[in-house]
Amino acid sequence: MQNPGEWTRPGGSFAVSCERVSYSYPGSGRPALSEVSLDLRQGEYVGVVGPNGGGKSTLVRLLNGLLRPESGRVLVTGRDPATEPFEVRKHLGVLFQNPENGLVAPFVEDDVAFGLENLGVPREEMLGRVARAVRAVGLEGYERREPHTLSGGEKQRVALAGLLAVEPEILVLDEPTSMLDTAGRREVLEYLQDLHSEKTVLHVTHHLEELTGADRILVLNGGELVADETPERFFSNADLLRENRLVLPVVPRLALKLGFPPAKLSTPEELAEAILARTQSGTRSR
Amino acid sequence: MKLELRDLRHVYARGTPFEVEALRGVSLVVEPKEVLAIVGGTGSGKSTLVQHMNLLLVPTSGQVLVDGADATTLRRSELRRRVGLVFQFPESALFAPTVEEDVAFAPRQLGLDEEEVRERVRQSLRALGAGHLAGRSPFALSGGEKRRAAIAGVLAMRPEVLVVDEPTAGLDPLSREELLDLILGLRESGVSVVLVSHDLDEVAEVADRVCVLHEGRVSAVGTPAEVFYGDPTQAPATVRVTSLLRGSRPEIGDPVRSQETLDALRALQGT
Amino acid sequence: MTTRGLGQFYPVSSPVHALDPRAKLLATAVFVVGLFLVDSTVGLLFVAASLVALVVVSRIPAGTFLRLLRPVLFIVALTLLFQVFFSREGVTLFEWGFLEVHSGGLRLGFFLALRLLLLVSSAGLLTATTAPVALADGIEDLLSPLKRVRFPAHEVAMMMTIALRFIPTLGEEAEKIKGAQAARGADFTEGGPLRRARSFLPVLIPLTVGAFRRADELADAMESRGYRGGEGRTRYRELRFRVSDALALSLTLFLLVVGILL
Repeated sequence: MQNPGEWTRPGGSFAVSCERVSYSYPGSGRPALSEVSLDLRQGEYVGVVGPNGGGKSTLVRLLNGLLRPESGRVLVTGRDPATEPFEVRKHLGVLFQNPENGLVAPFVEDDVAFGLENLGVPREEMLGRVARAVRAVGLEGYERREPHTLSGGEKQRVALAGLLAVEPEILVLDEPTSMLDTAGRREVLEYLQDLHSEKTVLHVTHHLEELTGADRILVLNGGELVADETPERFFSNADLLRENRLVLPVVPRLALKLGFPPAKLSTPEELAEAILARTQSGTRSR
Repeated sequence: MKLELRDLRHVYARGTPFEVEALRGVSLVVEPKEVLAIVGGTGSGKSTLVQHMNLLLVPTSGQVLVDGADATTLRRSELRRRVGLVFQFPESALFAPTVEEDVAFAPRQLGLDEEEVRERVRQSLRALGAGHLAGRSPFALSGGEKRRAAIAGVLAMRPEVLVVDEPTAGLDPLSREELLDLILGLRESGVSVVLVSHDLDEVAEVADRVCVLHEGRVSAVGTPAEVFYGDPTQAPATVRVTSLLRGSRPEIGDPVRSQETLDALRALQGT
Repeated sequence: MTTRGLGQFYPVSSPVHALDPRAKLLATAVFVVGLFLVDSTVGLLFVAASLVALVVVSRIPAGTFLRLLRPVLFIVALTLLFQVFFSREGVTLFEWGFLEVHSGGLRLGFFLALRLLLLVSSAGLLTATTAPVALADGIEDLLSPLKRVRFPAHEVAMMMTIALRFIPTLGEEAEKIKGAQAARGADFTEGGPLRRARSFLPVLIPLTVGAFRRADELADAMESRGYRGGEGRTRYRELRFRVSDALALSLTLFLLVVGILL
């Protein structure tokens, strides 16, 4: 499926690399992306945050060839998405924000097969890959369901299955949970979690609690890359958060204010344990 | 205004193979000047319930009472003026060439004179922090701006009860906080707010009372502390943290909002 | 909650449902052509009886099927009345002022109305017994010989599949927008037809704008998944022509010939 040698072409051994990339939407006064340079190593899990209109969605579209940069260079597995979009899309899949408008076919299994059909995969092979992808997102039994009967979380999982069937090495997630309710968000994140170890993931989001396991967090604001930090340093930097219209989720915020490292404690259970441990050891040492 | 729902039942598609009982006997009161949160998972009946509050949906059985009077006896337009309903993703219903034209729709439908209409438009937009958007096309705005324009459109009717269904859905975190502040502001000005939400953390910050719906029935109703500490597995993060500590440190009490939770936890640590 | 009506698939299992969609499409086409070749009342009644038999075999409940016909009842009635009151053929049966009812008009009116009903019924039977995906595949297959003359058969089929996929979604969206505007005091029931049509603008405009936005997002999603037209595409769904399909087609032809001869 993948040939590691291919990636050591110009672009180094990076899965994704952007070199001083700029882009402006037609008719817009200011650039959506301005001289942005970033690299993604194979297997990394990188978060991308920033205010709306800051360039996050533009970046996603430049990576899969929907947009072509005005200047600078984008390389995905050593290829230029603007000139070889079809090739790149075999290796890089995008999960979009609105699951509703990404489902093409009248039935779940047909939609999951859509990407494979586009690639000209023979039918016998498709059957197996579709079945595996459906299983990978926990939707066995849903094959003949119609999209409009599904919940938001289920729709997004169908979209994810459609991506996984193509077996790309790189996944780009463009705010995949922002239109879902709590239950849907939890469902989708559960299945996304499993993928971090096998794939290179770029995760654009507003929900910082989704990035506690990230290797790095990139901040895009006003079309510029303004920060590249570990989650720990990022969560503790109040100025950086405020400037980028970000809010720490409840548990990390409490953790920070109580003097704990915010990125390590993301669930209520973890915070409670930490508090108990500290107060117990506190009384003991008194 | 006191809005009461008495033993509400609602069956969709009655008599067909697609029949489904969305509400199975819900009784609820909306008191004046409060923020009442309605929570529950998908399929709990939240959206069905709130559409009865302005009789967009008519109950299969049970009653909707406005200040003691049966709502079906009131003129529909009057009821819908007094109980304003904002759907989820309300910006999908924006249609006029400019924001102020769109916000003017509801007051004009009420038959108010132009000057009154203009005044209401101005005030509503200002309340939503969207005065600068008046002359813009609603289709050229950002998601958050569209959301404000849509809510202003309902607020322009000057309802006594404002029902908002998932008002912060899809918004970035800072916009959510701004919108929640607005909801608190509305309560201050005398409007009751019925907040339908799946986000318990946001409910924790603004609700005076909480009603939990499960499969078409009310499974709990009361103050946030009563409801959430009653079942800490389905509670906001703050309550989940403190409920795990209450066993060994009961002095922590029952805080719900993040500030009071922080204070209690600090006291616990001795910091 | 569901948008059932003209053209909606009714999922039960029946011999008709199991037929290859291409056979059904061809049979429907043959039926429609044949319908205009039948010129005797007896023949038409025979054809009607055959169609009724088919509906029974397809296990679609009568009530559901009749509901499919509701939208066209107005036109059918209009056709009937027009012929009844304005045709001057045959014997005068009844007179009232300038309105005259002749036997010829009655016969013709009945004939034309029945033909129209059968036309719509055959289309309704087709869509009720054939899943949208299968229908689109069938159409794409049947049209593919035209690719040689640059006819975009695949694109047409893809457009149909997408349209079918989004009909329920757009239906729900329309309901929601209607509710939102009603909550703001919109009244869709008062006034004459012109006023009422105008009152739908606050629903039609956002629905249309929303549809365009959806189309944009869908196009992005499709491209991102490697879509680039029909070139080099394989198909997940398989269509296989069987003996039963050939039999069904022959039967349709036979019944029509009988009808024409009668």
